[in-house]
Amino acid sequence: MATTLSASERREARDQVLTAGALIGPATIFVAAGLLVPIAILFRYSLNDVGPYKQMIEAFTAANYLRFFSDPYYTTVLARTLRVAVTCTLVCLLLGFPLAYVLARMQSQRKNLFIMLVVLPLFVGNAVRAAGWMALFGSKGVVNSLLMRIGLIDAPLEIMYTEVVVTIGIIAVNLPFMVLTLQSVIEGIDRAVEEAAFSLGANPYHMARRVLLPLALPGLLAGSILTFILAMNAYATPVLLGGPRFVMMGPLVYNQFVQQNNWPFGASISFVLMAATIVLTATANILVQRRYRR
Amino acid sequence: MARLEIASLSKLYGDFQAVREVSLDIADGEFLVLLGPSGCGKTTTLRMIAGFVTPSGGAIRIGDTDVTDLPPWKRNTGLVFQSYALFPHLTVAQNVAFGLEMRKVGRDDIAPRVAEALRMVRLGHLGERLPRQLSGGQQQRVALARALAIRPDVLLLDEPLSNLDAKLREEVRVEIRELQRQLGLTTVMVTHDQEEALTVADRLVVMSEGEVRQIGTQRDLDERPADRFVAGFVGRSTFLEGRAEGQGAFVTAGGLRLRCAVGSAAGPAVMALRPERVALGTAPLGLDNDLPGTVEFVSYLGAVLDLRVRLSDTDRVTVQMANRQDGMAPAVGARVHVGWSADAGRIFTQDAGAAA
Repeated sequence: MATTLSASERREARDQVLTAGALIGPATIFVAAGLLVPIAILFRYSLNDVGPYKQMIEAFTAANYLRFFSDPYYTTVLARTLRVAVTCTLVCLLLGFPLAYVLARMQSQRKNLFIMLVVLPLFVGNAVRAAGWMALFGSKGVVNSLLMRIGLIDAPLEIMYTEVVVTIGIIAVNLPFMVLTLQSVIEGIDRAVEEAAFSLGANPYHMARRVLLPLALPGLLAGSILTFILAMNAYATPVLLGGPRFVMMGPLVYNQFVQQNNWPFGASISFVLMAATIVLTATANILVQRRYRR
Repeated sequence: MARLEIASLSKLYGDFQAVREVSLDIADGEFLVLLGPSGCGKTTTLRMIAGFVTPSGGAIRIGDTDVTDLPPWKRNTGLVFQSYALFPHLTVAQNVAFGLEMRKVGRDDIAPRVAEALRMVRLGHLGERLPRQLSGGQQQRVALARALAIRPDVLLLDEPLSNLDAKLREEVRVEIRELQRQLGLTTVMVTHDQEEALTVADRLVVMSEGEVRQIGTQRDLDERPADRFVAGFVGRSTFLEGRAEGQGAFVTAGGLRLRCAVGSAAGPAVMALRPERVALGTAPLGLDNDLPGTVEFVSYLGAVLDLRVRLSDTDRVTVQMANRQDGMAPAVGARVHVGWSADAGRIFTQDAGAAA
């Protein structure tokens, strides 16, 4: 439809563009300067060569990426990180959904208090929390001394520096994010829709499968993506609870940059981590959307 | 389709009595309307029938089955919500098919039954649409089709028309009533809108503060309201406070002596008058009660005029008169005569139904 705009309409349209620009401009500039530029520089570094004294030599080579994928040590770290992140996401979904559902449907005046309780773990810093887990799970920790005192075991169990303790640690950090995301989505689902399903003969299982879960899908996806990304990139928890023996991708990147002083290799590991996260997130998103379209 | 019996049904929330000893017997194919102001317990009663609220006492029977302890999905009730409550992620046809799938109806039987239900509400052509692509009236008709498709024993309607605009409301309520008659469905509807209630109901139940105040037909409620609350809630009434003297005499607070039906006990009482039963003229009217007064307020309502007439410092009556071209239309301040027959004024003693 071709229409000629009057002067006032044109002015109005221009004002709208200016207003929109003023609203999104600062955040855009901040993100561009603080994120995109460093990423671009990092990507360039990852293609550079490394000299005999670990100095960076300008080049265009895939050697760093080849080194990562040909050394079983590094591919093991990647596989381990993926395994931990997937486990954490699934456990957070299973633990988080019922909790989020109860919170979302709660009519009590203390609802806000309960939501604060869910967020409370985030008030404690990662290092402090990890110290707590160490006191609990260390070889002289509460769990081991208790088990030894009641005679269940003779020697302390190896709990610290294992996959289990790191997974538990990351779940504890990520669960609040999952619960809050799910809760806000479930709150948007009309309670009457659930009742309609019941009155039409659906028992709670069928109601959840056919009505609640499909309608909560955006929340399930958003919560899972958030949890997965946080777990893939976890740093403090694997360092403090995993120690030098249980290495994940985040600490590996840091190690290359700071301890090995190998910037090109560190940069390429960063990109492997970023790519793995994005590809898996996007794939899961597409698969789930397609499965539940309508 | 079945008879629905409710026996001494009660619901307590803490120490708040939401529903108190409600007993109803709804015949097969009857359309019963629960009418009352918000918070009167009508919705709680309906939700107990549907199974969403557990009664604190009493029993509910549908046909020969005691359903009091059955969960909602095991009672064969069709429920229509005020908010429609359609499944937003399913098409119209999938919405209607949902209840049939839950009942394990064979795949070959589902499609014809969905089509039949949608045809009943004249939406056969919209099966592939999503709910959000329909207007409010269409959505409510889909909700109705979804409830009808399962061939419920009892159809429950929870303020089904409140979210529709006035024109559409009239249309859909006639449609609901016609379908209900055609299918012979035992139906319970909850509403706070008395016009809606009066047009569709076979019988009405007036509730207030968790209790049933009166059960009856439209005529029963209009001509023989059980108490002051019903007289004020169903139709309109003006109330004259005063004292019943016995022997068909009533003295208002303002000192007017009035005649009323013989038989009411003496004591503090109130006289309820339907505005349409009060006559108005420029000269004495020769009725049982005949009083001079001053017009205080005139509401022009199109077909009728409402006049508030002051009879004494404390007594006022509302008079409804036809708005005719040739008729007189008294102005504010005009001196007039009002009158009504003795049996037009209903006397309620103060202890019975003091709430209004």
